[in-house]
Amino acid sequence: MSASVEIKSLSKVFARQETNGTLQALDNINLSVPAGEFITLLGASGCGKSTLLRIIAGLEVPTFGEALFNGEGIRGTDSKRGLVFQEHTLFNWLTVRGNIEFALKSARRHAAKKSEVDSWLELAGLSEFANNFPHQLSGGMRQRAALVRALSVSPEVLLLDEPLGALDSFTRMSLQDELMRLWQERRNTMIMVTHDIDEAIYLSQRIVVMSPRPGRIAKVLEVPMSYPRNRAADDYTALRTQILKFMDFARDEQEEYII
Amino acid sequence: MNLTVRELRKLEGAPKTKFQRSLDRGLTALPFALATLLVAIYKLAPNFPKYAKNPIAYPVTNVYASFIGIAAVALLAFFVLSFFSAKAYESLLFKAPLYCAIFLVLGAYDIATLKTGILPLPYFPWVDRVLVAIIEDRKMLLDCIAHSLVLLFAGYITGTLAGLATGICAGWSARVRYWVMPLMKVLGPIPSTTWISIILIVASSLFGGSVFMIALGVWYPVSMSAFNGVSNIDKINFEVARTFGVKNAGLVFKVAIPAAMPSIFNGLTQGMSIACTALMVAEMLGVESGLGWYINWQRGWAEFAKMYAAVIIICLTFTGVNVVLNLAKKRALRWQEAKQ
Ligand SMILES: Nc1ncnc2c1ncn2[C@@H]1O[C@H](COP(=O)(O)OP(=O)(O)OP(=O)(O)O)[C@@H](O)[C@H]1O
Ligand SMILES: [Mg+2]
Repeated sequence: MSASVEIKSLSKVFARQETNGTLQALDNINLSVPAGEFITLLGASGCGKSTLLRIIAGLEVPTFGEALFNGEGIRGTDSKRGLVFQEHTLFNWLTVRGNIEFALKSARRHAAKKSEVDSWLELAGLSEFANNFPHQLSGGMRQRAALVRALSVSPEVLLLDEPLGALDSFTRMSLQDELMRLWQERRNTMIMVTHDIDEAIYLSQRIVVMSPRPGRIAKVLEVPMSYPRNRAADDYTALRTQILKFMDFARDEQEEYII
Repeated sequence: MNLTVRELRKLEGAPKTKFQRSLDRGLTALPFALATLLVAIYKLAPNFPKYAKNPIAYPVTNVYASFIGIAAVALLAFFVLSFFSAKAYESLLFKAPLYCAIFLVLGAYDIATLKTGILPLPYFPWVDRVLVAIIEDRKMLLDCIAHSLVLLFAGYITGTLAGLATGICAGWSARVRYWVMPLMKVLGPIPSTTWISIILIVASSLFGGSVFMIALGVWYPVSMSAFNGVSNIDKINFEVARTFGVKNAGLVFKVAIPAAMPSIFNGLTQGMSIACTALMVAEMLGVESGLGWYINWQRGWAEFAKMYAAVIIICLTFTGVNVVLNLAKKRALRWQEAKQ
């Protein structure tokens, strides 16, 4: 089976309008994600995680190298590659229900059944708020709504940019379980950015640790535990310590840049 | 806990003293009292001798008294209702000062014209004369309203469609912007009424020419606001839509237009006030129908009561149009954060 997403010697350079210079966000990234894998990206702020996801989504064009989806070069966006953005991205002029309907209708070219939308609303715990507009929701509610909006169209690859960042730890854990359940049901490819090492270990089969300026892959770790995982298990805590140590090390190396 | 908004306000607001509360209660009775007083003055106080002596030349009818009388009865009903419904009470309390002010102005005007002749005829007809003029000439006035509205909306809708088309395209595409922006910059600052004399000469039909003039006036604010609205949309909205497979036209109709609506509605409101001005200019200078024409025509006959009648009708018509526009705006922009 060919890899679902493949990144080959990819670099990304951004133009910086204000200084008329350029900034290298990603440097020589090589990564192969087989179909159905759950992989997380960990790394300090500014190391190019969002940029990498945006390139896979087709919103950004690589400067060097290439990004492949099912063996073909990625050109433009496609509803087969879904992205949950880091920022608040609900359409303000649509209700929560309207936002989910928008996604389903756009991806399938016909209107969604009400019961289907209802079940997504329930999953997000937003049934009561279905007819509210985004400005009437809390930050966490918006994030949940944006998450189910992306999930609803069942993309082959789901790119998640800190999708649970604004949630309290209980909601967070229960949504992690929900994500896990959906992933095990559908076996789609999941590429998720997170700042939470626990979350990365709990969910993913592999963890990609990135280092900043320019963004590079510092290490790829296998998580050799079977699902469902026990957050209190010994190998779990051991892996966490290992990552923490490594990330400290990664930071030391870059110290001269961090003031 | 299931509080109503009203209960909430009451709980959180500063408590009122007993004295304040009885003042409030008195205030809610005041509009009714003033309306009754107005009828009494109108019917019972002696008229200015010149008018009183010649009731054929200066008729004083019951039309005005009936109008105010009906208002008085309605206000009395409102007042009684306010004892049973707290909602009605609050609404009446809120509106009472405004009603009182209206009655005071009406009363002062009645005294200054009919009762003392300080403001003389024919320039200052008392309200009864104006109301009678409206009723007598109602057929003609209705006809004029219809003509005015047809012309107004023909121009407004044409201008709006053109403005949306150029504004949205210019906001969307750099190439369209390249050609449309200079046009907007040159044509925009010229008041559309400037074109009236050219239109009077060139246009083969005055109606068509007036539609064009009104449309031109509406086009500018609508296209400007649509352009600003579209070009200020956060680009992430388009990116999200694209990840769901929305393309080109879909991005314009499903994202750009709804997201630009608040700005577009500013242009629509501005356009409406320009359209109303242009309509009056067109009707007073060229088109031989409509309320503007009616005013001019009555002025020719020195029928001042009828002129005022038309002014009142114009005011009501334009207010009505703007109320409808505001309702549409409120409905379309429900999603916006309430601005306080
Ligand atoms: N459109 C852009 N134009 C110019 N520079 C950009 C652009 N997008 C990102 N960058 C730069 O690229 C670098 C990587 O940004 P990116 O958003 O990918 O980081 P990140 O790893 O997602 O960080 P965080 O964890 O804070 O979200 C940053 O230095 C950023 O300033
Ligand atoms: Mg990011």
